[in-house]
Amino acid sequence: MTAYRLASGGLIDRSAPLDFRFDGRNLTGFSGDTLASALLANDQLLVGRSFKYHRPRGIVTAGPSEPNALVTIGKGADSDPNTKATVAELYSGLDAHSQNRFPSLKYDFGAVNGLLSPFLGAGFYYKTFMWPAAFWEKVYEPIIRKAAGLGRAVLERDPQAYEKCWAHCDLLVIGSGPTGLMAALTAGRAGLRVILADEDFRLGGSLLGETARVNDASAQDFTETVLAELRSLPNVTMMPRTTVFGWYDDNVFGAVERVQKHVALPQAKLPVERLWRIAAKRALLATGAEERPLVFGGNDRPGVIMAGAMRTYANRFGVAAGKSVAIFTNGSAGYRTAADLAAHGVEIAAIIDSRAEGADVAPDGVRVIRSASVIDTKGRQRVCGAVVERSGFEQTIACDAIAMSGGWNPVIHLACQRGAKAIWSEDLKTFLAPDVGNGLVVAGAAAGRYTLAGCLKDGAEKAVVIAADLGFSTVSHTAPAVEGEIDPSFTALWYSPGAKAKAFVDFQNDVHVKDIGLALREGFGHVEHAKRYTTNGMATDQGKLSGINATGLLAAMQGISPADVGTTTFRPFYTPVAFGALAGTSRDEHAAPVRKSPLHGWAQRNGAVFVDSGLWFRPAYFSRGGEKTWRESTDREVRNIRENAGLCDVSTLGKIEVFGPDAAEFLNRLYCNPFLKLPVGKARYGLMLREDGMVYDDGTTSRLSHEHFVMTTTTALAGGVMSHMEYCAQVHWPDLKVRFCSSTDQWAQMAIAGPKARLVLQALVEDDISDAAFPFLAAGAVTLRGGLKARLFRISFSGELAYELAVPAGLGEAVADAVMEEGMAHGICAYGLEALNVLRIEKGHVTHAEFAGRVTPDDAGFGRMVSAQKPDFIGKRLSTRYGLTAADRMQMVGLKPVEPDQHIRAGAHLLREGAKPSTLNDQGYVSSACFSPTLGHDIALAFLKSGRERYGERVVVWDKLAGAEVVAEICNPVFVDPGNTKLNS
Amino acid sequence: MSRTYISRHPLDDLLPLEPGIRAVDHLDVPRSSAIVSVMAMDGEEASVTAGLAASGDVSIRFTGPGEWLAVSQSETPESLHRNLSLLLAETAYFVDQSDGRVVFRLSGPNVRRILAKGIATDLHPAIFEVGTSSNVLCGHISINLARTGENEFELIVMRSFAIALFDDLKVMGREFDLSAGFSVRG
Amino acid sequence: MASLIHCPHCGVRPKEEFSIRGDASLIRPDPEASDEAWNDYVHIRSNPRGRYREHWQHVAGCRRWLVVERDTFTHEVFAVTDAASSAREAGR
Repeated sequence: MTAYRLASGGLIDRSAPLDFRFDGRNLTGFSGDTLASALLANDQLLVGRSFKYHRPRGIVTAGPSEPNALVTIGKGADSDPNTKATVAELYSGLDAHSQNRFPSLKYDFGAVNGLLSPFLGAGFYYKTFMWPAAFWEKVYEPIIRKAAGLGRAVLERDPQAYEKCWAHCDLLVIGSGPTGLMAALTAGRAGLRVILADEDFRLGGSLLGETARVNDASAQDFTETVLAELRSLPNVTMMPRTTVFGWYDDNVFGAVERVQKHVALPQAKLPVERLWRIAAKRALLATGAEERPLVFGGNDRPGVIMAGAMRTYANRFGVAAGKSVAIFTNGSAGYRTAADLAAHGVEIAAIIDSRAEGADVAPDGVRVIRSASVIDTKGRQRVCGAVVERSGFEQTIACDAIAMSGGWNPVIHLACQRGAKAIWSEDLKTFLAPDVGNGLVVAGAAAGRYTLAGCLKDGAEKAVVIAADLGFSTVSHTAPAVEGEIDPSFTALWYSPGAKAKAFVDFQNDVHVKDIGLALREGFGHVEHAKRYTTNGMATDQGKLSGINATGLLAAMQGISPADVGTTTFRPFYTPVAFGALAGTSRDEHAAPVRKSPLHGWAQRNGAVFVDSGLWFRPAYFSRGGEKTWRESTDREVRNIRENAGLCDVSTLGKIEVFGPDAAEFLNRLYCNPFLKLPVGKARYGLMLREDGMVYDDGTTSRLSHEHFVMTTTTALAGGVMSHMEYCAQVHWPDLKVRFCSSTDQWAQMAIAGPKARLVLQALVEDDISDAAFPFLAAGAVTLRGGLKARLFRISFSGELAYELAVPAGLGEAVADAVMEEGMAHGICAYGLEALNVLRIEKGHVTHAEFAGRVTPDDAGFGRMVSAQKPDFIGKRLSTRYGLTAADRMQMVGLKPVEPDQHIRAGAHLLREGAKPSTLNDQGYVSSACFSPTLGHDIALAFLKSGRERYGERVVVWDKLAGAEVVAEICNPVFVDPGNTKLNS
Repeated sequence: MSRTYISRHPLDDLLPLEPGIRAVDHLDVPRSSAIVSVMAMDGEEASVTAGLAASGDVSIRFTGPGEWLAVSQSETPESLHRNLSLLLAETAYFVDQSDGRVVFRLSGPNVRRILAKGIATDLHPAIFEVGTSSNVLCGHISINLARTGENEFELIVMRSFAIALFDDLKVMGREFDLSAGFSVRG
Repeated sequence: MASLIHCPHCGVRPKEEFSIRGDASLIRPDPEASDEAWNDYVHIRSNPRGRYREHWQHVAGCRRWLVVERDTFTHEVFAVTDAASSAREAGR
């Protein structure tokens, strides 16, 4: 046992022990622990195996940059792979498992990869698995997948709930360390709406592990005082457990709040994670600085830990990473860790300082070896010694942990996510954020101001400027006084020379110094190329620890400045975000809203089987007792409508009320056929074109008064037509005096069709609806018995005597019931989309199956409708171009199989008899097909080259998908009642 | 034969007939409302705005330039339509939407936190003041949102989306035990 | 792409409330205009890097068509105006 819990100290609640499990072992930690601090307290240093070589790996950091301590928390559908133990809040019952090992963490077969490592260098995959290409999918990839990889995504559906939320503020402060706290306090006092977000479950950032004193109090007490005041301010919202992961256009930030990731049994009424979109007038990036690892031989052995992390574990969590710690440093930070560890009673084996000299003071009695470097480490699954080289002499220093400190990298990710490049500071030997405007201001250690006093001051001062910018006045406060200040100085050391073992740059992807060198030698020296060639920075940690070192190495190897190498591109997300959080509640029935017709309940009561139709649910058919298939129901419905009557819900058709002195002129320009002279009380079929001359949509439009029309659109394009009309009215013809609005949802509309439709309706309508009084295409207001005002249109899609009756939506079900009741004596039935489709194909009526975007009015047989007189309408000009008037265009025809028991399906292509199927021989295609109960065989509508001249000819209906070839006769597309006697009866 | 037709509310099968236990955050659904789309005639936008301002206890909701929804809980659709026609004769067009829109009244101390789960607009009390109204997107659904009280908002949605919006609001309010019921008033 | 658009009628709104049609500089030609003019109008589009005027509809809000002038590279939005006003000014 070497890592252990200190007897006292830390911000943990020693009175609240928490039981948890790691790889099946029962362990205990305390409230306030992370999983990593609790594992360390239990001397569980080994937490994973590396990606490529399966080397044993231990905890390296105490924060979100952790490359090694990735575990799976939970089991089955509820498990979270690749969770960083260093940020996972410990809770009672937490069940964690290590990853990427088989059969166990201690004995891992994959470690054999380590023996093969000479063959697994950079570019290994590219070089080895190049040929033959077919082997990739079948041989190479499965083997690599099995050998490599971190946590496994589960295939079960995630049982947890997520949600998304918007927030708005004057100032978003990202990070609650000294800089962020002072900024939030200053802005909060000035009255700004402030959001203070921090990824940690406890606010305070580096202050939580700080031993310097602030305003004559411990840093922790100072933090508590500030937080208490922030809590008292109603304009300040504090968001712990919230990672701001992305900076987007217009200063919108993405953040994910872990609402219930720290509880064993989440409450059902709360999401486990909440995705925030924060619209901030200003934001302050107070994300601090990350300690830079040192690149030396054997630096990946468990027990080699960042010096700052070791300090945090001791001061904040009361955990010592070892009993005897060697410290390898290039700056003062190593000495600070030494002092704090020594104060906790931890033995400091030695301080190995890469610098020749320095003013830093080591704890009493601690040996300092200057101008020295660690060139190898001893031990297998944890470190037991450091091999130190100084002036050519080697010595092994026994220790059970090594702290490394290589300087500081400001955490500037967010500032660089929108394209701005990080800027090298020769002064600070690191990359700083560029000026990205006043929307996002970088402060404190994130801006290279590393001292505690500097952070406290910078946060407050920048908040004052922001407040003034937004028109708030601030009261000046004296900056907090710091005692025991930090010296952040260091001398850059990209690579500790003389390594006797692999010196790792990227722990997570197993990239070591020689890989970087190889990339350079092979021509992949550009920082973006080197990243991809070596995979440095491509793991889940996205190079948080390794990126700057890789740049430094590339620069040093070429003898150029890191400024000339630059960094790789920063992109959201700062840390991985679960897909569940990104989806929020938009899944299952909430993925898309369902629109329900006002007759939905009526249809349900009448046995409707529904089908999705865009967002709508529409009745496909109405099943009656004994009917086993949709065809049985549909055939019955069709026959009954041709013989008696039927009622179909057409409420989903778009309805647009058009008003104004120029309403007629507007419609006249919108449709290709004339509307100026449509009489009041009449409906007209209208065909709308796109500007390219193809049919866009169709429907009937009725004139209710001189300046009031009601238009119908197809269900599918109701929204599109509305937008199109708005575009035409506002952009093309802004001077036309026309207003319109949708009334789709106001009306329940039902089609009542069949030879007995009038008999049924007359029993309900007070007005005279005889053929003389209300002929085909009549339209107007009527009164139903009982005084209900309704709209009635004599229009027909089925080809039968038919009406469409519209009543206020709330009364739809009652009226539909009344129609059914009155119609019972006449044999009325409810019918659905399937029957509607059969009826209209029999009559040769078109839908969007025909108007598929490449069809002109003439192709569909409406050539004569297109007005030649109108000076202009949408689509007029291009509908006259040669390609749209060519004689061999595909024209709509009817098809019937020569053998009546053979079937035709939509989508099939048409060929001349004997012709080989080829694009060249393609004669056209079937747009709609069905079995016609009226005729007793299949019928189809099809588009065929010069089709209208070819009635009586035969074609082959070639259906590759169904493997069928059917000989069909070309005929008039109107199969039923071509003389319109039924329609006009 | 005379007939009477019973009107149905889209949430009839989803809300209890009797008012249940009311949580502090509550979704109140009026059974019926008179709602009329008002569209100013060309050049009459200002006079219609003035006329609507003088329309008494009718609530006016902004939907777009020169376009509003007039809402009343006391009038019938017919009387509202008639009164507006008289008030704004020759300056506006009207379309009855009483059956085409559904009103949701959301109130309680957490109302903004509930709405922030679907609506991107800043609803801070000092910014979205009482009397403000606008069409906004709530989740996937376009609605008209109005602030009708200190902690009270009205959402007006197209009837066909009413159930979907109701389902969404229930999920948005789950955290605060949002209760829902038909309005006792009407 | 912008995250927030300032609708001249409704205020600041998320981009999800809008739908984008494309180039706002195109003016529908006279019906008698040349084949080339109509071909350009219906079929030919540039894809500029930089400043661009586009027609956006505030489809989930006031439903007005707007002219959004933005930079396709930096995503900066310079101005949002009502399309009908722009069209009137252009003398359509």
